[in-house]
Amino acid sequence: MIASSPSRRRLAPLAGIHRHLRFVFPIAAALIGATAMRAADLTALWVERVKSVVAVEYYTETEAERRPTVSYGTVIDANGTIILPSVAVSPRATPAQLKEFKVYRPGNPVSASAQYLGQDAFTGWHFVRVEESMRGELVPITAFAVKDTVEPAMAEEVWGIGLRNKDEDFLPYLLSSRIALVQSLPQRTAIAQQEVAGPGLPVFNRAGAFIGLASSSFGQNYIQFSREDRGGFPVIMVNVEESGAFQTAGEILPYLGRVPKNVYGRPLAWLGAYGLEPMDPEVAKFLKLSGQSGAVISEILEGSPAEKAGLKDRDLLVAIDDQPLPRFKPDRVIVTYVEREIQRRHPGDLIALTVLRGGTRLDLKAVLGEEPRLLSEAERKYFDRLGLTAREFVYDDAIARRAKTGDLSGVIAHYVKPNGPAAVAGLRTDDWIKEIDGTEVKNFAAAGEKLSAIETDKFRTECVLLVSRGGVTSVLRVKL
Amino acid sequence: MNQNTLKPFLTRSTFVLALLFGGHELRAAMSRGFNQLLDAVVRIDVREVAFEAGSKRLASSIGSGVILSDDGLVLTNAHVVSPRAIEISVTLSNLERVGAQLVGWDHWTDLAVLRLDLPEIKRRKLRFAHGEFGDSDRLFPGETVFAVGTPYGFTRTVTRGIISNTSRYFEDPRGVNGYETGAFNTWLQTDAAINPGNSGGPLVTEDGRVVGINARGYIGADNLGFAIPANVARKVVADLVHDGAITRSYLGIVPGALQDLENFYALSLNTGVLVNNVDPGSPAARAGLRGGDIVLAIDGTRVDGRFPEQLPAIQNLIASLPVGASAKLTVKRGSELRDCILLTEKLESRVGEEWVFEKWGLSVRKVSRTYARENQLSDTTGVLVIGVQPGFPADVAGLSRGDIIAKINQQPVSTLATMKDLHAAFLAKPEPVLVEVQRNRQVSLYVLKP
Repeated sequence: MIASSPSRRRLAPLAGIHRHLRFVFPIAAALIGATAMRAADLTALWVERVKSVVAVEYYTETEAERRPTVSYGTVIDANGTIILPSVAVSPRATPAQLKEFKVYRPGNPVSASAQYLGQDAFTGWHFVRVEESMRGELVPITAFAVKDTVEPAMAEEVWGIGLRNKDEDFLPYLLSSRIALVQSLPQRTAIAQQEVAGPGLPVFNRAGAFIGLASSSFGQNYIQFSREDRGGFPVIMVNVEESGAFQTAGEILPYLGRVPKNVYGRPLAWLGAYGLEPMDPEVAKFLKLSGQSGAVISEILEGSPAEKAGLKDRDLLVAIDDQPLPRFKPDRVIVTYVEREIQRRHPGDLIALTVLRGGTRLDLKAVLGEEPRLLSEAERKYFDRLGLTAREFVYDDAIARRAKTGDLSGVIAHYVKPNGPAAVAGLRTDDWIKEIDGTEVKNFAAAGEKLSAIETDKFRTECVLLVSRGGVTSVLRVKL
Repeated sequence: MNQNTLKPFLTRSTFVLALLFGGHELRAAMSRGFNQLLDAVVRIDVREVAFEAGSKRLASSIGSGVILSDDGLVLTNAHVVSPRAIEISVTLSNLERVGAQLVGWDHWTDLAVLRLDLPEIKRRKLRFAHGEFGDSDRLFPGETVFAVGTPYGFTRTVTRGIISNTSRYFEDPRGVNGYETGAFNTWLQTDAAINPGNSGGPLVTEDGRVVGINARGYIGADNLGFAIPANVARKVVADLVHDGAITRSYLGIVPGALQDLENFYALSLNTGVLVNNVDPGSPAARAGLRGGDIVLAIDGTRVDGRFPEQLPAIQNLIASLPVGASAKLTVKRGSELRDCILLTEKLESRVGEEWVFEKWGLSVRKVSRTYARENQLSDTTGVLVIGVQPGFPADVAGLSRGDIIAKINQQPVSTLATMKDLHAAFLAKPEPVLVEVQRNRQVSLYVLKP
């Protein structure tokens, strides 16, 4: 248990919570085997537990717009640390674009500012820390954690908190349901009959013990029909404000200590196995691997730890550290399982991989590396006169374009201002700019210099770019 | 884009016939040439094999054509009659029907040549006229032209319009039933009404000379029709009759118009053509050419690619080089001028040979060199899945359209023949087969079960 001891230490000064914990445990024990509970108890439980949930608002500032986002968060310690679900922040946004984090308590229009700490790759959570003034009003979710939490049972009654929108001061409301299914995806995930909490908010049992954290909602299929069109089209509807699925406490509590050391969440363990595809059960039978699962590694990335370990494109991964890959349903879950097995480790760790290659079983050992520079870490600069943000070309850009990763030259058109000079010339977002005015772009710094010079030269009427899109190059003339 | 080839009229289509009363009587004073031309225009009914559904199916369609000679050569569109045709029936102007055979087709120019079943014609003592080509280079915008054909199955329909543009440029990478078209010629644009079924019919002048072959129209637009110029058709017909196919050369250069870029490249006007892209692994790539280069001359012939309309002629100049021969390109890069020697390759379509494995319920198309290049595949190994039949082994296993089958039972599928052998083995002794499939960049394994 990584997180339990720091949590206890942080909780120590809060005598009130201790009292509360003492109060809760006997009740929880008394409830085992009980069939019902008085509604009045739930009211009391509610009052304390609603202090663990917050709404978090921030702005994403890009070249063209300033967009507010509201997400729900759960307080995890006495230092005002809050976790937000992975979907709370667009993967395209960089930490530098995330501004003005504000935390709201349910039903309270007064906000406190907060700091963005980064995303943890293993859990996917974004971490935020609220300023001291509000911390006293909050109660970490660990206060409601029960030691050796048992996973919720089928048909067990569970409840959680939903939050209204900002215009209603994020008023909290009660959601409750019964457990319909518990599944490994690969995290143990309980699915209730109806929505039980806002995504990212805690779920409790009738005794008030923390039993899980609501994930993003699953889509539900509906048939849309009208008088004119009786046949109807199936549509998937997703309730973005509430969720009926939650990861159980055992998937949450051990990892609360994974507060990122920096906004990029480094260090990040890296293997360099691209495009994992689950092994079909029929294929498992064919290869006499029934009872376990496997994953085809579509590509082994150039210069990666996987390549150094001797893995090859299209190897079928069947075991990690001599443990056969477990079976999951749906089959695709194995992909997340393997990814998590890498993400939970650290750069420098040894990982033993067993693969099948053309019928031969091979045991290989890889030393995990540090993930190459991320898109979110790439340098970027906006050139207003051109209507273009140039972004450093990083490893992932090369992978996406099937280019050699050894030569990271050129820059990416990260943003092209609609109807701006670059856009009118035909430049599009994600185009790879390889030459500017006939000169090869060696790196971001060289591109920045060149583009700055073009921007500042008042007598300039045009510039010429050689860009690559989908492996096809073209020459674009940008009229300034 | 709403621009479509005029899909040959499908027999099951329905239509509303609007009857117009009280129209003025218009006396057309048509030339003898025009009347003879009318007798040379035919309706073409085609039944062809379609592979796409994971089974062999038949499709039927209607198009138009024009008889070109006394020995029964008929010119039509490549999108009307292709090598997939299994039955071609031609309705002559006297409404008699005769069979015909495909002589050759060329999707790049959207032209196909048929030959009427002459013994049958002789036996039945049928008569027909033939049309004469006019000079399409002498057409001028505003000149009156007529489109003759079988729009929506209405045989011998004449519509009138003018030449709207004499050299319209458009390339369509999937314009002829998925095949490339329009890279080597410009098109005549006309406002003579052209509808589905007009395809392959002639565009004629008042004296009945064939100046174009109607091929395309903007569906939904008001009379934006396009025809292949007669001067292009004349040469294609000669080559198709001679060889059954047209062989073109390929260098791997994607040209761009130099318009407005002459200053940047320090060129005098009307000089050279811009290289927009060089296909990876192509002769041009091997010779070190790259995007942004300027080609000034090909084998000493100076090229002028200032405007988009001039590009097809340059492409055609390259295509006309002998296959496997060396070509000298004079190339300007920056201020440097140099000669590059390139070895031409045979031009190939993206669309490879197609086949259906009926017991697997699987239609495939061989991965061609062009397809591999376009999709950044490392080589031409594999076949592309173009259809699966629901409930059959390929569908049950999870294969779908767009997948590339790279290996079967660990054996690389380098040719269609390899796969045919494996299918034959499956027929002889039905046993599960392990298939390695690439979908986009993801590789998966599947089992085809008997």
